[in-house]
Amino acid sequence: MLEADRISYAYAGAPAVREASFRAGERGELIAVIGPNGSGKSTLLKMLARVVSPSSGEVRFEGKPLQEWHAREYARRVGYLPQDPDPVFPMRAIDVVVSGRAPFLARFQWERDSDYDEAERALAMCDGSHLADRYLDEMSGGERKRVFLARVLAASPSLILLDEPLAALDIAHIQQFALLLRDVATSTGATVIFAAHDVNWAAAYSDRMLVMDHGALALDAPPSLVMRADAMQRFFGLDAAVIEAGGRTWIVPRTES
Amino acid sequence: MTSAAVGRRRPRRRESIVLPITILLVVLAAVSLLAICFGTASISLRSLFGGDAIARAIVFRLRVPRVCLAAAVGATLGVAGVTFQTLLRNPLADPFILGVSGGAACGAAVATALGLSAIPGVVPAVAFAGACGATAAVFLLARRRDHTDPVRLLLSGLVLNALFSSIILIAFSLSRQSDLTAALRWMMGTLFGATWNDVALVGTLLVVSVAVLFWIANDLRMLAFGEEDARSRGVDVERIKLVGFLTASIATGAAVAVSGIIGFIGLIVPNLVRLAWRRDFRALLPLSALAGATLVVASDLVSRVIVRSSELPISAFTAVLGVPFFLSLLRKAR
Repeated sequence: MLEADRISYAYAGAPAVREASFRAGERGELIAVIGPNGSGKSTLLKMLARVVSPSSGEVRFEGKPLQEWHAREYARRVGYLPQDPDPVFPMRAIDVVVSGRAPFLARFQWERDSDYDEAERALAMCDGSHLADRYLDEMSGGERKRVFLARVLAASPSLILLDEPLAALDIAHIQQFALLLRDVATSTGATVIFAAHDVNWAAAYSDRMLVMDHGALALDAPPSLVMRADAMQRFFGLDAAVIEAGGRTWIVPRTES
Repeated sequence: MTSAAVGRRRPRRRESIVLPITILLVVLAAVSLLAICFGTASISLRSLFGGDAIARAIVFRLRVPRVCLAAAVGATLGVAGVTFQTLLRNPLADPFILGVSGGAACGAAVATALGLSAIPGVVPAVAFAGACGATAAVFLLARRRDHTDPVRLLLSGLVLNALFSSIILIAFSLSRQSDLTAALRWMMGTLFGATWNDVALVGTLLVVSVAVLFWIANDLRMLAFGEEDARSRGVDVERIKLVGFLTASIATGAAVAVSGIIGFIGLIVPNLVRLAWRRDFRALLPLSALAGATLVVASDLVSRVIVRSSELPISAFTAVLGVPFFLSLLRKAR
């Protein structure tokens, strides 16, 4: 479904992503993009979301290069959640969610009842029905995340791109939100690609991991091959111990002494 | 209703804008009627339709065009304000901060200093050119490679405003005393001497700009979520920004050219409307137009009648009337 073919991007001469290639698109697959800060995770997602165009290389979706997709057609199939979405003016949650239906509206058309139906369905999927009438600026960080995930889901995309969806959440909410992502992938059959900076959470809730290292896609492997002391040393420069607990593998930094 | 739905209130869906629009239309009509009847000379409806020629002349030659111009200018400034605020994702953006009005004022001041104010139509034309020039300059300064940065846009506007102020000061120092009075009047904003030609100019550009903005409204409102988000929703962000910015600027240029600088409307009206009815750009556009028209007509009325046989500057009253409204809404909002 999605193929990235040696894509690169540079900000004002400084390369952010260098010749990354991979394929994705299995039904319900959860793919985590990890790597140190500044390794190019966000830029990679932006290229896939058609927010920026690669300076070289090509992304193809359903066999067609991204630049040949009509912007609205692509937006109906691919959902993208930026790292820190913030509508500056006060908005109700249901209006935020229904705005995810924008690619389906004609020029002068306002949201129809069917669009609100989709929005309510999406909000319910994210356990956010009770938030519908509330304003975003009155919500906690976790509630806002739910609303924005619902906004992405309101378009029923087959590919979902999320930039750091677990950032700025406390540990209980990370767990809740990651489980929600798993549910969404399973129940909608969408492929979910999300960037994360915490390897432990990323590994616990993904089927596959893409490790970015200085803009290059250094490793494309299942979590079991990433969650190793040698990989942590190589990609994060971290001296780490690997422990098994609760049926999962966890990376624990060795404390200096 | 199924049993599962019992007890859970359904969220309100799309809220109609018929009621807010009706309210504003009624208030605008009422204020306009008052503005036509009251002024330095009060005119009763009976004398107007009873064949009083002087009353008729005052009303149809002076007051009706003046009220129409006030409404058109107010609507234009309200529309420009809500457009700039949405484009820049900033509730403080308005035609003044972006340098559009400053450019117009600068053009007018220079034309006055050069002694061109005696020729009718020259000052407004130069003011209009100044507004367009300022818009182009601000937009070019804010452009980086392939996109326009909202923060740079605001900063460029601020810096150009400072430059315009200096030029205006120099131009005024070099102007003759007789020209200076007219120039000052213009700097303070005035609807004095409104003609049907002025109404036609501002009105036409208002209608065109509202039509263009409605054309792009469904995309423009998506900018509220951020440019990258909007792009991922299929919006051609750069094109929308360019069209929106130019449309609002040209309309502002026309309004400033005929009525001078009427402050505060572009800034406060969209915020006022947003506090009263929290909606997105598609609804705020017509509501800001109506609220802007109402506020300017009311301010003009007050500025004409508050001191007997003298007209005070209208800009003084846009704030005097707007601020109490704004504060009461702000208190209610939280």
